Amino acid sequence: MEKEKKYTVIAGCGRLGASIAGKLSDEKKDVMILDCDKTAFRKLPYSYGGLTMTAGATDIEKLTAANLKEASVFLAVTDYDCVNICAAQIAKKVFQIPKVVARIYDEEKTELVKSMGIDTICPSELSEKEISNYIEIGGMKHVG
Amino acid sequence: MLGKRKEQGSILIVGGFNKARSLANSLLKKGYRVTVINKEYDACEKLAEIHKLNVIYGDGSKRFILEDAGADTCQVAIALTESDETNLVICEMCKQFFHVKKTVALLNDPSKTNFFYQMGIDRVVCALNMITGIMEEQALMDEMTTRVPFDEDRIHIMEIPILKNSAMAGKKLWELNLPKEIIIGCILRGDRSLIPRGDTRIREGDVLLIITSDKSKLEEIKELTEYAAS
Repeated sequence: MEKEKKYTVIAGCGRLGASIAGKLSDEKKDVMILDCDKTAFRKLPYSYGGLTMTAGATDIEKLTAANLKEASVFLAVTDYDCVNICAAQIAKKVFQIPKVVARIYDEEKTELVKSMGIDTICPSELSEKEISNYIEIGGMKHVG
Repeated sequence: MLGKRKEQGSILIVGGFNKARSLANSLLKKGYRVTVINKEYDACEKLAEIHKLNVIYGDGSKRFILEDAGADTCQVAIALTESDETNLVICEMCKQFFHVKKTVALLNDPSKTNFFYQMGIDRVVCALNMITGIMEEQALMDEMTTRVPFDEDRIHIMEIPILKNSAMAGKKLWELNLPKEIIIGCILRGDRSLIPRGDTRIREGDVLLIITSDKSKLEEIKELTEYAAS
């Protein structure tokens, strides 16, 4: 029987990474989270039942050893744009992971990865949308 | 952006302090226009002391900083920051946004070399690989002074000095019976350099520049240059 590949790899155990990892683990999904600082894993909830690995997000050797080829989703959510871009590109091009998402703070850099089929999350863009939603609630314009 | 005239010989260096300084000095001497970007203010002040060097203070991985530095008029961009990932992103931005013809990235982790090439960076310089290579060469080979690998280690260029009493000394090239994988590209004699022909005679004190496609032939060359058995 063909082994179903359905595991999610999260690079960067910050607030975002840890909280996504916790949620996926609660839903009984297979998750692996990596961070180069092993103390970062303290942020994971007690209930977390997935794997952790102390490795840099762009460390190809360690990622190969962790069998990243079998992953179906890769999330690059470290604090650094360049690391996220590089990790996402490695996930896409070296390990051919079908779904790759990268958090990129600097909007101008999103174009670098979009053309490769990598999805991007840009916090400032999201906040901007939310804020404009708040100030135009119900068709009432609060901003003159 | 494409329509803009590319100025001849403009080079952009991002990051690095000592490396950037010595590289900039050497390029300026050769007549290139050089711009450096550095995100440390102190480093910028020191770099600005170099005559004719353009210095930009800022984070070189930001698009607007690259734009300020005139990346769109440069032919070559060199990324020398300490972070591999930053160097990758800088080169990608120079390539995709500013159409820089040639990008060069410094790399610490040798396992990423192929990936960097795959991402379209023209030249990847892995300092660690080079240093360990040189160390190995210095430790193992005394009589062969330099060995430069080309084309991903397929071609090697070496300098071999002809010592006193070497078996090669006094012979013409056609008498040497060199293996097929080896040619003598050049002979350095005193301050002259000769392009050798079959009837060129090798003398003591010459330095041969040898090109080989097969590393294992090193031993054979060694034997050839050794003292005459007599």
